[in-house]
Order: sequence, then C-alpha cells, then structure tokens
Amino acid sequence: MLNLIRIIALLLLAFSSAYGYLSYTYHLLPFERFLAVKPNTMPIALSIAGIICSIAILIQPKASNEKIESDGTVNRADGEYLKNPQNFNWVQGVGLLILACIYSISLRELGFIFCTSLFLFLGGYLLGDRRYIILIPISISSSVIFWYLVEKVLTIYLRPWPNWIF
Amino acid sequence: MLDGLLLGLETAFTFQNMFFAALGCFIGTIIGMLPGLGPMSVVAIMIPVSLQIGDPSTTLILLAGVYYGAIFGGSTSSILINAPGEAAVVATSFDGYPMARNGQAGKALTIAAISSFSGGTIGVLLLMFFAPALASFAILFWSAEYFALMLVGLSAISAFAGKGKVLKAIMMTILGLMLATVGESSLFQAPRFTLGIMDLQSGINFVTLAMGLFAVPEAFFLAIDKIRGKKSGSKKSQEINNLRINRKEAKSIAPVIGRQSIQGFLIGVMPGTGATIASFLGYAVERNLASPKERKEFGKGSIKGLSAPETANNAASTGSFVPLLTLGIPGSGTTAVLLGAFIALNLQPGPQLMQDRPEVFWSVILSMYFGNIILLVLNLPLVPYIAKLLTIPRSYLIPFVLFFAMAGAYIGQNNSTELLILLGFGVIAIIFRFADYPLPPLLIGFVLGQMFEDNFGRAMRNANGIQFIWERPMTLILIFSAAIFILVPLIRDWLNIKKK
Repeated sequence: MLNLIRIIALLLLAFSSAYGYLSYTYHLLPFERFLAVKPNTMPIALSIAGIICSIAILIQPKASNEKIESDGTVNRADGEYLKNPQNFNWVQGVGLLILACIYSISLRELGFIFCTSLFLFLGGYLLGDRRYIILIPISISSSVIFWYLVEKVLTIYLRPWPNWIF
Repeated sequence: MLDGLLLGLETAFTFQNMFFAALGCFIGTIIGMLPGLGPMSVVAIMIPVSLQIGDPSTTLILLAGVYYGAIFGGSTSSILINAPGEAAVVATSFDGYPMARNGQAGKALTIAAISSFSGGTIGVLLLMFFAPALASFAILFWSAEYFALMLVGLSAISAFAGKGKVLKAIMMTILGLMLATVGESSLFQAPRFTLGIMDLQSGINFVTLAMGLFAVPEAFFLAIDKIRGKKSGSKKSQEINNLRINRKEAKSIAPVIGRQSIQGFLIGVMPGTGATIASFLGYAVERNLASPKERKEFGKGSIKGLSAPETANNAASTGSFVPLLTLGIPGSGTTAVLLGAFIALNLQPGPQLMQDRPEVFWSVILSMYFGNIILLVLNLPLVPYIAKLLTIPRSYLIPFVLFFAMAGAYIGQNNSTELLILLGFGVIAIIFRFADYPLPPLLIGFVLGQMFEDNFGRAMRNANGIQFIWERPMTLILIFSAAIFILVPLIRDWLNIKKK
C-alpha cells in the first residue's frame, strides 16, 4: 500500500508539473501583462506548491501501520481491499461503474425514464437480485416518480422517452 | 424596537403566515434532500410560485422557510448515503455517514435535527438583537480580510487529516485549488485550463465533483464488500436503534452547539462567506478543541463532529440575512436570489426597510423562529422512517445511490458529459482512497479556491502590492491563525515520525 502512496505522489508531481507548464505558457492579453495579479499568478504558485508537496510525500519516511480499531462493525480501512483482493467482489464494483458509464452515454438518446429503469434493473441484476417480480416494477416506478417530481413539479426539463418516439 | 417586535409578532403569527412558514419548511426539506438542488436552486424555483401570494410578508416568510428547510434537507442525503448535494452540508457527511454505517442513522438524523434547530434559533435571537450593529461590523471586511478568512478556511484542512496525513491533506487541498482555476472566473473573463473542452468553459460543477468524490466511491465499496458497515453478528443489515440521545451525549454536544451557533452566525454575517465556510470552520474548531481521545473519533462517527457543522451552517444561513435585511447586500448566493424576490415585491432591503416596512422586517425574522420549531416538529417523527431507508436490500440501495449521484449532476445541466466527468472523478477518488489520501480537503480547496483567488486579486489591486497583509491588523491576525493551523499539525507529525 505504501508503494501506491508513492505512485500517486509521483502522478501528482507529474500533474503539478504539467499544470505548471500550462500556467507558465498561458497566453496573456496585452493589458493583463501589467496587472498586479495576472490570470496565471495563482496557477504558477499552486504548481510550485504542488511540486514541493508531492516531492515531500515521496521522500517522507515510511509511516507505521495504524491499528484498525474493532468497534463491532465491519469498517474496513479502504487500503485493506488491496491487501486481500480475492475476498471481494470486484466484478460487481467495476461492472456497476461500467454500467453507469453506459447510462451516462445513452441517457440523452434513450430518454430519462427508459434509461433509468434499465439502469436500476441491470444494476440490481448485477448485484445478484433475481426477483424480477419486485425488481422490474420498482425500477420503472422509481424512474417515473423521479421524472414526474423533477419535470412536472420542479419544471426542470428531462426528456422521458427516446429520440425516435417524439 | 419593541414596537417593531410587537408588530412583527402580530404579522408573523397569523394563521396564514404560520401555514406558509410550515409549508416552506416542508417543501425546502423535501426538495433539499434531492442531490444537486441546494437552497439557492430551491428558492429560485419557488420564487415565481410564491409571488402569486400577493402579500410581501407572507411571500418572504415562505421563501425564508424554504431556505433553511433546504439546508436541513440536504443534510439527510449527506448522512444516509454520503451524497452531499450542497457545499454547506459536505462537512455533515464526515461524521454523519460513518454514524449511519455504524447502525446509528436514527441518532445521526436526530442530532442533525436538534443541532440545526439550536443553531437556527440562537441565530434568530442574535439576528433580532444585534442585526444593525453587526451590519456595521460586516462592512469593515474588505477583500484583504476575505482573502485571509479563506486562508484560515483552507488551513483548517489539518482538521480533516488524520495522524500522519497532513502532507497528503495539503496536497489534496492544492489539487482542489487547481481544479477551481478551470474555466472562467469573475476576475479574469477568459477561461483557463479548459483544454479545448466546451463543457469546461464555466468550470467544473460543484455537484459533479462532490458526487464523484463521495457518492461514487461509496457505491463502489458497498458493491465489492457485501458486509461493509454491517454490525458483526447481527442478522439484520442495519438496526434502527438509538434514536434518542442520552443525557451524557446531550451534555457533550451542548457546548459545541453554543460555540458554533455564535461562530456560525458571525461568519454568516459577513457577505460572501455563507454556510459553507461556517460548517468547515466549525468542524475544524471543534476538532481542535476536543480532547485527544475525542479527536480520534472525528471522521469515524463523532457526535461532536456531526453537531458542529450542522449547528454552524444553520446559524450562518440565519446570519446571512443580516447584510441582506440591514444593508441590502446579499450575504450568500441564496440571499442574492432572495434579493431578487424583494425587488419583485417592490421592497428595498437596507437601512430604510426597518423604518418604512417594520412589519415585513420583523415578521421575516420572527417567522424564522417559528420555522425552526416546525422543522424540528416535522422532521423528528420522520427520522425512524427516513433511517429505515438504509435497510433497503443492497441490490436496490447501491444502484439508487449511484443514480441519485448522477441525477444530481444531470438535473439542471442536461449534459451527459457532466456524468462522464463525475464518473471520472469517482474512479480517481477510489484510487485516492485505496492509498488513504483524504478527499474532503480536495473539495474544500475547490469550494474556496475561486473566492480565495478573487479576493487576493482585488486586495492586491486595491493595495498596489502585498503590503495589505501587514497594514491591515485583522488580515494579519487571520493569516497568523492560518499559519498556526497549518504548522502545528505538521510539526506534530514530524516529531512523531522522528520519535519512531
């Protein structure tokens, strides 16, 4: 896990450097060159601070492992998941994220009600629920209720159905 | 003042006005629970409806009720599913959500309700007696003082860093500040760091970032770990117990409520600060004041850690009415929207309002007291039922949490790219959490970053250089406090490492 801390610190160093490069090469308008605070003043300062901080994390001495307190609940520290990955269901987690991506891409095309119902149904299916007689009505009714609340009550537009229906 | 108070009492406590105050609280609470719809959006949505009422006092009483109802409603989704839809309730999730995961959802909601009520009520009392005096104090704060106050807020990130994590917390704050520079700012109109992406022209949306950082990783971890958060040995997934708080707990949060009501109110009085910075500072101050044993509980389900931001944000939202009512200057984004309502009603908020329309001025203030009682009466009996939401089977709950988070980002933007950005932040947040990098400082840096840069720029322009730091005493004091906030935990960490 400590390696991951340093890997991320290295990535943050790269990010801060790239950010600093973009800040330094930011194209200032003629009148902006004479301002006390230019559009790239704060970004340059932040990139320097980011570089210093990420280097400090990289060279920081190894911290001792904290004891995980037992309080009667299963509250794992997040780093524990990587220590014993075989004990956890990564397929469900990653599958859910991929499903969410597909939902995001297809939301405008398929319409809110149709897309959301499908997302809730497939999400429940992915997590192991096979009680279709409960899953399907809940998915559809939740989407419809949410759409009604937002579109009709709050008057925020959400296309309900696919493009080709209307 | 006594005449005004009596007139206000007579106006505020009519059946019509009490009904609309209660209605406003109810609507605000329900809509505030939806992610993506903070108090500002809710009040803006209600303005056209409320203007139909006709009576200015009733209209403003309804809108004020919607405002603080929405603040309270936002804390419910923050506590139950770690989906803070508004900046002012992010700090609530730090201890509220761990409490809910520990099977204490009911207690968490109860403490949130009581703290909100107390903060709001004490805020109303302070508003009643000190509004004009505080208004003259508020206008002494210029850009230099605001810059220093933002610095104090940023330095309070040490409160969110556990032992040995201060450097990581500082790094995350810097990352948040970097994200805040994306897009346009009020100081520099040309967009920065958009990388040619049109959707980033107006910057990164707060809800997108908040949901991506908090709700998405939580849904992911709940999906991969079937027994996450369940009491070991328990048959039920969540037990709804401990709805009441005992005497010892009440005694421990009482001083927190007292301190944060005053601190939150004073921060809210200053225009432009609002409930967000009040809640973060409230959390940081209480963590620093806690004993070493209690400090370890912060971030893991501390009742003080929940009570502090909840009290502070409600007190600050009341305090933000001070500059609006007495000077006509909105104290926060929501009061800026309320200013629009005042103008639509042909009312000019400011020094003359108290003299020309005392029934409006005092009835709005007194209705807040009634509104806070309504919030408590409405929400406390609902707590067991709201808390039961967590007993929903995970195969329904987890997709709902994810959907809720995405809906919050999608509503109002109607842009699928926001959802992809949200999921991108979610994946990054998951990786950060594996390596134990704290995420709250990133969000704090993002929220305060814009104001930080703008006020710094204005202070530099006004003073023609950096000398404003030592020429203005209040600025110097605040910067010194910020330095203490940052350096003390860093030195403490360094000494601990050296000892080992």
